[in-house]
Amino acid sequence: MAVTPTPESLLSLSITTRKIPLGCPIFDTFLRGGIPCNSITELVAESGCGKTQFCLQLALSAQLPLNHLGRLSGSSLYIHTEFPFPFRRLQQLCLDSPIGGNSDNIFVHAAHSAEQLLDEMPKIESFLVDSQSRLPIRLIVVDSIAALFRSEFDNTPSDLKQRSSLFFKISGQLKLLAKRFNVAVVVTNQVVDFMGESGSLNGLRIGNLGSLYSSGRRVCPALGIAWANCVNSRLFLSRNEEVIGAEISSENAGDGLCRRTRRRLYVLFAPHLPESSTEFVIRREGVFGVNR
Amino acid sequence: MEVAGLPISPSQRGKLISAGYTTISSLTSLSPHHLARDLNIPEEEAVQILGAAASHNSRLDTSDGGHSIVNGAQTAWDMFREEQSSLRITTSCADFDNILGGGINCKEVTEIGGVPGIGKTQLGIQLAVNVQIPMGLGGLGAKAVYIDTEGSFMVERATQIAEASISDMLEYNNHLAKQNRVCQVKFKPSDILENIFYFRVCSYTEQMALINHLEKFISDHKDVKIVIVDSVTFHFRQDFEDLALRTRLLNGMALKLMNLAKTFNVAVIAGHIPAQIGSSCTGTRMSEMHT
Repeated sequence: MAVTPTPESLLSLSITTRKIPLGCPIFDTFLRGGIPCNSITELVAESGCGKTQFCLQLALSAQLPLNHLGRLSGSSLYIHTEFPFPFRRLQQLCLDSPIGGNSDNIFVHAAHSAEQLLDEMPKIESFLVDSQSRLPIRLIVVDSIAALFRSEFDNTPSDLKQRSSLFFKISGQLKLLAKRFNVAVVVTNQVVDFMGESGSLNGLRIGNLGSLYSSGRRVCPALGIAWANCVNSRLFLSRNEEVIGAEISSENAGDGLCRRTRRRLYVLFAPHLPESSTEFVIRREGVFGVNR
Repeated sequence: MEVAGLPISPSQRGKLISAGYTTISSLTSLSPHHLARDLNIPEEEAVQILGAAASHNSRLDTSDGGHSIVNGAQTAWDMFREEQSSLRITTSCADFDNILGGGINCKEVTEIGGVPGIGKTQLGIQLAVNVQIPMGLGGLGAKAVYIDTEGSFMVERATQIAEASISDMLEYNNHLAKQNRVCQVKFKPSDILENIFYFRVCSYTEQMALINHLEKFISDHKDVKIVIVDSVTFHFRQDFEDLALRTRLLNGMALKLMNLAKTFNVAVIAGHIPAQIGSSCTGTRMSEMHT
């Protein structure tokens, strides 16, 4: 007897999708509650902008019992592809973050190649099913997806074809897990420098911003448009040095100017968020939004 | 059209109905011999009945009615008239509606393409809500089927769009009230959400199965007037070593969707993601199929 497909009632899917908060009121208002479950969210930024910091903080806050958005109380699976995993930073966050949290509830797994990650998907699935001895997994982090793809593939048509087929396989599997277990999936992605005319393929505008700037350079997300199709939402973190005045004793900066790093989080595209941005800081205690 | 409207004798009418020929269209492409046997009447009488049905069917074509009842034949004039009177679903954006000739057309498969984040999903959700605008306000008062392959459908976004649509309707209603033509808007966002049949598919086999099942689903839910597939190609870009097979499957699916659109007078929106240069070319394959 074949099972006939039946529609899901949208009313039974609660009116607001379950979200994993970041534990900072400014961010959580900005993201309308946090990172949505049952969906892939991508964090795009150059190195040193705070992608991993965001992911670690999410892994901690996923453990929190929540009052109004439904209890998450979940553990997380952190798949890292860039080595080493920042254990010390995680430990520091566990101690200092106002969220609290316990590193026992974060399961760390290393992936060295895209094929390996794909091969391990059944293992990951059975890991998600078997949740009796621990909190259920609520968050899967892949940090970073770009590292899996940027080393192994040449710029030849056949390699690119194989690569984009892998994108869709991996994202299909991740979305399947996200749907089946109602978990949030967060992947991080690197950027590449933007080259050439604004009309070229690289300059194809994806999302809300016409052009992305970080550290004073024009950048665009790595892995191209094929990967952009594989994620549901994309957030961009930027970092820009800003001169805030001349410094009398020029010890820090060689040119006698006092500089400050300003970081911003942009929504590039998301089905549930409008175009917006917020400033944030990274401190010992974690990442926090700044109201200005 | 019922046979009751035919200029034939009551006894002939009775025989027709008791033999199961209740509509005029059931008399098309029937030989006089066949009809005579079914109704147990002489063949001349059968010819007469078929003649009456034929001349009824083709009032425009007065010269010779007998030949125009070939199944499915339609004059270009009829098609033109039909197209002008066809149902359209507004996009809630005047400029869009203008270039679309009034909105998304029922009976057609419309493809929406664009880079990620351009708003394909937003337009899809908007249409799933707008198809429910009641007839009194110029809408269709129908329901929607939403097939989500990417997981981008967000209930909270649909709620927002539903709320905005309701306030639009109320405003329009106030405008109508000034002309004493009130249409009750008794919508709540939850009513609108209830009228969207949401399917989430996680693989291409599921997608094929669902599209095959849709015909039955829509004949059970006759008030569905729009089917949104967001997006049609996502799962077809994963697992296909055999590109010829993929093309066959996609073409088959496109034909099914077109058939659905024709048979049930529903609009089909197929969201689709563009192919990267140097990668696959699913996009062009699908585009070739669209009308």
